[in-house]
Amino acid sequence: MKKRVLALTMALTMAFLTACSGGGGQSGTAADTGGGESGGASAETGGNSAVDAEITEPVTIKFANYAVLEAGYDVYWNGLLEKFHEENPNITVELVTAPYGEIVNTIINMAGGGDKVDVIFGENDWIPTLVDAGLAAPVENVLSQELVADIYPNILEACSMDGVAYGVPMYISPFLMYYNKDLFEQAGLDPNSPPTTYDEMLEIAPKLAALTTEDGNQVYPFGLTTASVAVSGACLTSSVYNFGGTVLDEEGNLAIDQGFRDAVEMWKTLDDNGYNPQNSKLKDLRNLFALGQLAMYYDQSWGYNGISSINPDAESFIASAAPLKGGDGTGESVLQAGTLMVVDNGDAQKAAVAKLVDFIMSEEMLTEYFETVSPAYPARQSMADLEVIADSPILAGAADSVSNLKTVTFVPALSDLNLELCTLAQAVTVSGTDVDTAIADFETAARGILE
Amino acid sequence: MEKKGFMKIQMTARQRNDRIFAGALLLPSVLITVVFILIPVVDSVVKSFLDYEVRNIISGTPGEWNNFDNYIRLFRNGRLGMSIVNTLAFVVGVVVVQFLLGMALALILNSNIKFARFVRSIMMAPWVVPTIISGLIWMWLYQPQYGLLKYLIQIFTGGSVTDFAILNNPQTAMLGIAIAALWKQIPLTTLLLVSGLTNVSEDLLEAATIDGAGSVRKFFSITIPSIMSVIKITVSMSIIENFKQFPLFWTMTGGGPDNSTTTLAILSYREAFVSNNFGSGAAVTTIWMLLMIVVIFVYNRIFRNVDMN
Amino acid sequence: MKAKYKRILVGMLKYAILLVILLFLLFPLYWVLITSFKTNMEAYRFPPTMIPEAPTASSYVSLFTVDNFFFTYYINNFIVAGSTAVITLVLAIMSGYALSRFKIAWNRWIVAAFLSAQMFPIISRMISLYDLLGKIHLINTRAGLILALTAAMLPFTITLMASFFDGIPRELEEAAIVDGAGRIQTLLRIIMPLVKSGMVAVGIYAFLMTWDDYLHAVTLIQNDSLRTLSAGVALRYLGELSYDWSKVNTISVVGILPIMLIFFFFQKYMIKGLVAGAVKG
Repeated sequence: MKKRVLALTMALTMAFLTACSGGGGQSGTAADTGGGESGGASAETGGNSAVDAEITEPVTIKFANYAVLEAGYDVYWNGLLEKFHEENPNITVELVTAPYGEIVNTIINMAGGGDKVDVIFGENDWIPTLVDAGLAAPVENVLSQELVADIYPNILEACSMDGVAYGVPMYISPFLMYYNKDLFEQAGLDPNSPPTTYDEMLEIAPKLAALTTEDGNQVYPFGLTTASVAVSGACLTSSVYNFGGTVLDEEGNLAIDQGFRDAVEMWKTLDDNGYNPQNSKLKDLRNLFALGQLAMYYDQSWGYNGISSINPDAESFIASAAPLKGGDGTGESVLQAGTLMVVDNGDAQKAAVAKLVDFIMSEEMLTEYFETVSPAYPARQSMADLEVIADSPILAGAADSVSNLKTVTFVPALSDLNLELCTLAQAVTVSGTDVDTAIADFETAARGILE
Repeated sequence: MEKKGFMKIQMTARQRNDRIFAGALLLPSVLITVVFILIPVVDSVVKSFLDYEVRNIISGTPGEWNNFDNYIRLFRNGRLGMSIVNTLAFVVGVVVVQFLLGMALALILNSNIKFARFVRSIMMAPWVVPTIISGLIWMWLYQPQYGLLKYLIQIFTGGSVTDFAILNNPQTAMLGIAIAALWKQIPLTTLLLVSGLTNVSEDLLEAATIDGAGSVRKFFSITIPSIMSVIKITVSMSIIENFKQFPLFWTMTGGGPDNSTTTLAILSYREAFVSNNFGSGAAVTTIWMLLMIVVIFVYNRIFRNVDMN
Repeated sequence: MKAKYKRILVGMLKYAILLVILLFLLFPLYWVLITSFKTNMEAYRFPPTMIPEAPTASSYVSLFTVDNFFFTYYINNFIVAGSTAVITLVLAIMSGYALSRFKIAWNRWIVAAFLSAQMFPIISRMISLYDLLGKIHLINTRAGLILALTAAMLPFTITLMASFFDGIPRELEEAAIVDGAGRIQTLLRIIMPLVKSGMVAVGIYAFLMTWDDYLHAVTLIQNDSLRTLSAGVALRYLGELSYDWSKVNTISVVGILPIMLIFFFFQKYMIKGLVAGAVKG
């Protein structure tokens, strides 16, 4: 019987080995048509007449949004959609939901089945994948000119590939540094002058490391996320930028330089001294920070939502600062953006999408978001002086860092490359590999991904 | 003479009807299995030889034959070998320990101890816990700062190890996942082995005792041979289940730290759904399936002499 | 005297090993249960408290009042797992009977196909499966999910069911046919009552395995009102944004409890069935 199982499986394998070697020839032309189609469509429908059109016919648009269901975000999003429907009774927004790590895949699978979503809310890092898939459409073909023109040019650039913007950020944040003023005080440090360079941080770290919490728990001086999730890779990239280093050059080729090496050395130093909670996700760091067990760490500004949901009193001790400078670097960091990406599904859909995006990006809704969900920086120039943000004690310290950003070169394999960066960080920390070997391994792996 | 011929025709007619009846009974299941399992699997094997990425899915264009490039790339970048080693280490480790612990527990439950029925009943609890939730349970026990395991290790080492985080260390992360897998799987193994043990002939054992055989001797020359077919089934179920394990790895470590828990399941998922290179992901699953077939084949070879009845 | 001494020692050793293994199997469940009654701030204390200092049911209250979508997932999981179990059972009875009774030429190949189908990892067929269900417009529907899960359950349950039919003497059917009963009648009236424990085993097994599903649901369903438990839990509570261990533990308890009750209720048949099936295999 077992032999038959084996025979059958082998036979199937062989049968299709032969079958597919026969079918290879015809696919070339089909692929070309696919590429041409999307290009043609975008050229044709330029301008934004669709936006101003009155929506008279009922239209349904599909909105892919992972956050709409996550605890702490669901109330805001559901309220927003309700209000939008009241104002635009003709537009029905159908939600497409999936876990954070699964949603891009879901959108792609749906599109493969002929069912394309119209708007996607997610990270700006997803743009390369969506563009590569031929899904994301240039925003200027869909959204109102007024809105697109209002986005800071350097921020729009962070949502662009080859000079074409494929998303508008609802809110943005650099990887800024949150720190705990109470712990600084306990360690005899000035809570109003956080370190500005890695060296300064290392100098005060022993004082912070000597602290313990009321329960007798250890305090970690500095947190840097290294666990295997794509966003950790973005944070590590940011740390490389702090040192003036690069990961990819503008053409998307690997460009490991001294700044990169310095950053990796720093990750190792942090770990060797036990300053950094090992192999942690951002949410682990938020948790430790909320409980007063972490003195400083890198996060997106909206990490505050996670912190305050664990410890509502965190507002009393949290403060932010610009990312640290290292080596010859100026402390540049990576922009993170909660981004709305659009898909071109015809004029009726586009008009409705433009209305929805305008609504989400309105001052009223964004203010509510910053007030009730989490503080972050608006991406619209007209909202530069938004009171909630200008007056936010939480974000005040890091305000300047928004202007000190460096764009990540978008390559289709960005997520995988980010995971590889995590592996590199894990190699020099938990595995104890030396820096040179680890970087060499990273190069091999990264080349394999990028080629 | 005539009567005999008539009988024969009748038999074949009945056989033919039997055949139609059997076919009708089998048809829906065969159809579902072929359509939902075999065709997709074959399709995936085909894709493993193609350049097949996201844009192919969306535009509906078929992939392009790429001269085994998916396989060549996998073999070259070194991740494949590591994943195979990790997968085999996990499977062998979990299967062996599971068998030993399951057997120990089964022997104890089969010897006249008190509450054997009650114990047999409550020990099944972990088996019905959904895998995702069992991953959560163990992640909570392993939590690096507040976890119970950290506390226990601290006590048992007299305070000399104060920062034990099993999933954060490349040397122990696989062990951490294996423990979670064992937790969920030991109950069923034990249950099957217990049932095998209850069928071992008392007469044989008694005869051996009269002949002066010790309990160890009796175990190896009577008990084990009589439950060999149960052992064979139990172990092969365990091999298949652990070979296919994905959710535990994905929720608990995602393949890290430093790739120490990157198995073929994780690698294929990363290739297909993180890199969005479905051809390459399919190549990993194809190798994965072949490896599984080889392992099962070798396993059956070893147990060839065991009579299934 | 010495032998008696030894026997006591062996006896003690036996209980000690039993205790250790049971502790390993059951303590984690206790831990989850008590964590669900702690506040988050207490859950994050180290060293951990073995019994909640200030027990609170607030996680349960908020689960039942605020997070009521959880029950949508829950009900969906029951619908999906229940339907899958019933369909699987019916098909497994039909096919198992056919394989056991009518030794036609194709049998061996069909059995081989079923056995090999068991071995293929789910990930390997997810993309094609999506494509396929999309073409027959069953993507994002419970029906599609149920069909896909039924396919995953069939191979093992059919072989299990066949082994039960193998245990029933053929003479019974021959006698029934001599009495003039049709084939379907024979199966329904004579044979099926004799494999009741097998049917329960197959049904419960399919239910338990489907209840556990994650990958199918996460790939084939995008509509939140159709989502099942594991996928829903992963979506709401394991995301990048949320961090609430006491809630997660509460969900674990609520997620485990009914399935455990069902299991203990049917345990007698389930164990008898699985064991008989697997052992005869």
